[in-house]
Amino acid sequence: MNAVEVSQLEKRFGAVRALAGVELLVPEGELVLVRGPNGAGKSTLLRVLAGLTRPSRGVVQVLGEDLFRASGAATRGRVGYLGPEPGLYGELSVEENLAYCARLHGRSRARVRELLAAFELAALRARRVRTLSTGYRKRTGLARALVAEPDLLLLDEPWSGLDADASALLDTQLAALRERGGSALVAAHSPEMLAAGFDATIALEAGRRTA
Amino acid sequence: MSAGPRVALAVFAKDLRLDLRSGDRLGHMAVFAAMLVALLSITLPEGTAATRAWLPALAWIVFLLTALLGLQRSFQAEVEQGAVATLVGAPCDRGWVFLGKAAANGATLIGVMLWTAVLFEIFLDVAWERAPGTLAAVGLAGALGLSGLGTLLGAMSSAARFREFLLPVLLFPLILPVLVFASHATAAALEGLPVERLLWGALGLYDWVVLLMGYFVFDYVLED
Repeated sequence: MNAVEVSQLEKRFGAVRALAGVELLVPEGELVLVRGPNGAGKSTLLRVLAGLTRPSRGVVQVLGEDLFRASGAATRGRVGYLGPEPGLYGELSVEENLAYCARLHGRSRARVRELLAAFELAALRARRVRTLSTGYRKRTGLARALVAEPDLLLLDEPWSGLDADASALLDTQLAALRERGGSALVAAHSPEMLAAGFDATIALEAGRRTA
Repeated sequence: MSAGPRVALAVFAKDLRLDLRSGDRLGHMAVFAAMLVALLSITLPEGTAATRAWLPALAWIVFLLTALLGLQRSFQAEVEQGAVATLVGAPCDRGWVFLGKAAANGATLIGVMLWTAVLFEIFLDVAWERAPGTLAAVGLAGALGLSGLGTLLGAMSSAARFREFLLPVLLFPLILPVLVFASHATAAALEGLPVERLLWGALGLYDWVVLLMGYFVFDYVLED
């Protein structure tokens, strides 16, 4: 089964065509790098796949479901998404942010503790997110995206703001995701991230798939 | 617990925690209401029958204006930090997210309403204790309608460029029925008269329509 099936995907914002006839298949258990310059449509593609933006045209199946139909509600919980912002509440602590997300997805406190340890955030668990550095906010955002143990992970420029240690932690998480049969689409404009060992790379330019 | 109620409860608890922790929203609303009521107490003629007749409507207008301050910031945290994605990813119908946010706004508005009532009692000598049960029920019905509509319109306007302008422009005409029904019901209760069935029915119907509409429309509101 494919984790993602996209056919003739088009997304318009008024007169601007952000995605134009994109075709994409991501088999289960594969990590796919989405490359392209600024404005290529990488972020829009991930937002459509996360159910944040409704496509203007085309077919989008995520984990076998159309996320924009009522039947896709449960499937949305199997998709983890991290955008350019970490998606956290500044006035809540690191642990409270993760616990809130865990409650949304019916996950236990043990899962929160597991992620605090995995991203080396345990010492900062009580710190309010607004007081953290950009890098630690990003780590917390990554942990948030993983709370529900998603079958599909969508990451938009996840390495930006991360130091070498944090990048290694992310690589470990991506490897663990693949090991348990999960898939990921990771958008990046710079090719140095290929070290994480992706199964495939696709390229976008001006909303069209070029490779 | 099934996914929908669990999500609504989580959103409700998170919003209340954020409100209590930052204190900004509640503090600003409390000061704003106090300023308005103080201005009214200075400018209104003291003890006249005309002033007494206006007080129920003025109380609701002060409440509405104060509530607007809070409703404008209801989605601020989500929009500024990109946390809308977390709400969108909740594994249930997005209407439950609406119910959680509306309940949190409703709880805040009830607090604002109690504060407004205290201010009216202190500055303008309004005797709420004449019909506490009826007035509480009217207040609850009004707060429910305002929190439902305010949550929906707050979400719709949150990403707009002129959101501070857009929310009142959308909210004021649509909340007018609540303002009229609740003011009339409050006036009747303060005079020791029974509140007409028609007013109860209209307030209840408005609340149901707003909550149902919010539940079903929110799916589209949360998307780009």
